[in-house]
Amino acid sequence: MGAESNRKTETRRFNEARLASLYDEYYGKIAHYAFVRIGNRTEAEDIAGEVFLKALESLESYKERGIPMQAWLFRIAHNLVVDHLRKMAKHKIVPIDTVQVEADADPVTLTDKKIELERMTGAMEQLTPEQREVLRLRFFGGLTSKEAGSILNKSDGAVREMQRAAVEKLRRLLVTDY
Amino acid sequence: MTDNFDKTLDECIDRINRGESLESCLAHYPEYVEQLEPLLQAMLQTKETYSFAPSASAKRVARQRFDAALESLEQRRREKQPLFTRVFARPLAWTTAAVVLLILVAGFFGLRPWLYPVGPLPNPEGNFVFLISDDVNAIGDFESLNVSISKIGLLPSGDTDRWVEFDPEVNEVDLTLVPGDKTQEIWRGDVPEGQYTKVFIHVTGVHGILKETGETVEVKLPSQKLQISKTFQVTTDMVTSFTYDLTVVAAGSPQSGIKYILKPQVGQSSADHKPNKGKAKDKQP
Repeated sequence: MGAESNRKTETRRFNEARLASLYDEYYGKIAHYAFVRIGNRTEAEDIAGEVFLKALESLESYKERGIPMQAWLFRIAHNLVVDHLRKMAKHKIVPIDTVQVEADADPVTLTDKKIELERMTGAMEQLTPEQREVLRLRFFGGLTSKEAGSILNKSDGAVREMQRAAVEKLRRLLVTDY
Repeated sequence: MTDNFDKTLDECIDRINRGESLESCLAHYPEYVEQLEPLLQAMLQTKETYSFAPSASAKRVARQRFDAALESLEQRRREKQPLFTRVFARPLAWTTAAVVLLILVAGFFGLRPWLYPVGPLPNPEGNFVFLISDDVNAIGDFESLNVSISKIGLLPSGDTDRWVEFDPEVNEVDLTLVPGDKTQEIWRGDVPEGQYTKVFIHVTGVHGILKETGETVEVKLPSQKLQISKTFQVTTDMVTSFTYDLTVVAAGSPQSGIKYILKPQVGQSSADHKPNKGKAKDKQP
């Protein structure tokens, strides 16, 4: 009994160390992923920090043979983003822009950026939710298609196919004058 | 056909995520350039539009909260243990007592040289494996790219200068043979268990031969000691495989002359863990 308990503790410590080792590389990627979805820098940074704390709390539920730990972090991030967006909708907090543009000394550049952002956001909204999520995990999260597939419960092949269709559609929408 | 293209597009997205340029990626897949280029441009445009980097202070504050939560967990674990276990179950207490005894005995029998080995020794059933890999950038330009490594060092957590150092068993690696997920094992043995935060390799030479011309080309190093910060754990009941990723990048242009630089890739370097079958508990001789 004592040996079993020690083993569980050692496994737990081991997973804690693994989680800590992922922080430097994945905090930024998770914050980026959250930023693209919620459009607020500060909230995105908070969510990224919260992901690691939630992961620490839920380490008992993490199973090695399930999904890679870095992909599991993005699953937590997705859930926190959904909660955040639900709270925003509940309190009828509507952001002025979908994604904030950083303040810039040059008003022309700022305007160009906002126009480009609106155009890009409009194009992304015409993708299916799954296509949008694949692109977010791949482009901003930096996950491999295998890791993205483990989050979306899709095979590598299915993710690659969705990815190609999404990028093709995005490309067509971005070159169309509208 | 479509499946091949899907895989190629996927590979290019991975390359660009790793920092490779669009041109370099397209150069690897000339048969798909026309189809690939507009899609990858769309990818780059998307990344540019949504470009973002968290502030250093936000990252630091979040890390402090995480470390505090870790410390709090460890503290709660310690408090749950009975006093006897807390005091006498600490490996450090027994290790200290054993070391003192051993030194006294060694001093008596004159076995001092055996107590202070140079460093960890190779062991096929060890708990630590050191591997080298190449993160693909300009490696495709090379026929061969041999990197000579004379020493490896690991820094235990909390220490600032007491490195665990050892000499590789394989001291030359051809990076053209280990692109992407491929690796070359250069050392296997036992290292003290615990958490480590930094790794270095000492590179004594780099010899590259270009594919196109067969010429030997100079490959610069930022320093002979290539050090990265990476936190990982080593235990006795798992085999930790640490992959140290290097990459060679090309800088400049054909007009001004292309220069090659070899550097470590922190982002792609990582530790992996597998159960150590050779160290099962309660193993009887």
